[in-house]
Amino acid sequence: MPDHDLFSSRNILLPVERNEAIRVLPTSLDPPEHRPFRNLINHGLSPKVVRGLEPSIRELTVSLIEAFRARGHCEFASEFAELLPISLFLKMVNLPVEDRIRLKALSEQVNRPDGSMTPEAVNQGFYDYLMPVLLERRANPGGDLFSQFLAGSIDGRPMTDGEAFELCMQVLIAGLDTVVSVLGFLMMFLARNPDHRRQLVDDPAMIPPAVEEFLRRFPLVAIPRTVIRDMEFQGVTFKEGDLILVPTMLHGLDDRSYQCPLDVDFSRRIGIHSTFGAGVHRCPGSLLARAELRIFLEEWLSRIPDFDIAPGRTPKVLYGIVGTVVDLPLVWQA
Amino acid sequence: MVKLIVIDASGAEHILDAEAGRSVMKAATDALIPGIMGECGGCLSCATCHGYVDDAWAPRLEPPSDEEQDMLSCAVDVLPSSRLTCQIEMKPELDGLVVRLPAAQF
Repeated sequence: MPDHDLFSSRNILLPVERNEAIRVLPTSLDPPEHRPFRNLINHGLSPKVVRGLEPSIRELTVSLIEAFRARGHCEFASEFAELLPISLFLKMVNLPVEDRIRLKALSEQVNRPDGSMTPEAVNQGFYDYLMPVLLERRANPGGDLFSQFLAGSIDGRPMTDGEAFELCMQVLIAGLDTVVSVLGFLMMFLARNPDHRRQLVDDPAMIPPAVEEFLRRFPLVAIPRTVIRDMEFQGVTFKEGDLILVPTMLHGLDDRSYQCPLDVDFSRRIGIHSTFGAGVHRCPGSLLARAELRIFLEEWLSRIPDFDIAPGRTPKVLYGIVGTVVDLPLVWQA
Repeated sequence: MVKLIVIDASGAEHILDAEAGRSVMKAATDALIPGIMGECGGCLSCATCHGYVDDAWAPRLEPPSDEEQDMLSCAVDVLPSSRLTCQIEMKPELDGLVVRLPAAQF
């Protein structure tokens, strides 16, 4: 993934024909065109910005947990995992939280298409929603992330409406998925592993390293790259135009890098893995994701230290370019 | 090999033998030193390899580029001695360089 001069990002969706209908920026650009767009995202999700968001993340996390705590059960995916990151993100881009259902449904069709919508219809769905918002923000800019993007300069010129749409659509899709999915996988694990849960309840200082271990252990993304020219690369022959699927999950689960890689071990020393990708396209939301996961574990475990998967129920997972958990019924002593 | 001293936020000193040509960020993250991330691998996209360079060493470094200064504005607890350590390449003239890490990267 760091070798962007050999492996292009021009097609990032599968099946590959979908890339003609759904174009996103800057994920589908290679350097140097990629840089000015990415720079706007770097500033919008910077360490400084994420630190400033922590109180909102905490407040939202607590209110969501308190909404169902006394009841003794919840369906974690729809009652928590989908609400925290999406509500937070919609706040960052100043869109009404009620729009999350419409937007999440469209994002699902990008990351895990089920055949119910053509890619053209998905793109049109985003366009119909976003374009009026972006034109309004261009006319009356605010302090939100989309307004910041629109005010940005692309090599000295303003962004076109088309570019603004593709950039904001990409950021929406990324912000409405992924953290949702990591939350699901780590809670499925904690529900089934009381000893691990106990370690974090007894010693909350273990939570930050635990977040790093969960990120290593539960990667989500498999994304394509396109070979730029005929070449031999690390002993493999490639032809120009060959499409490669990069399963990011293999890297952190490689037993040459991590002993007993499938075991979750909060004391493990964690070096590189590819959960957030690598190189110029590396996930710019990785700090926001870490902050959300850490604050979530702190607030959940101090309120609901013991919980289990509802008896007789099996959690349901779905796969696509981003894997996710769609049904995770949890129970606890209220 | 060039000596590099990284002092983490707890005050612990890590003495490293860095390969000439390798960045301070790479040398520190290879050694799994706590408190430095280097999320983007050194392409000036993340501001998570933030460190403070001791005054005595600052004049011996190349000044930060515009791109580095721009990304440095994204970091937390920035001081006049702040640098993004992926932009500091180890070389024999920097033998014994001291870099302190901030309390947190984000």
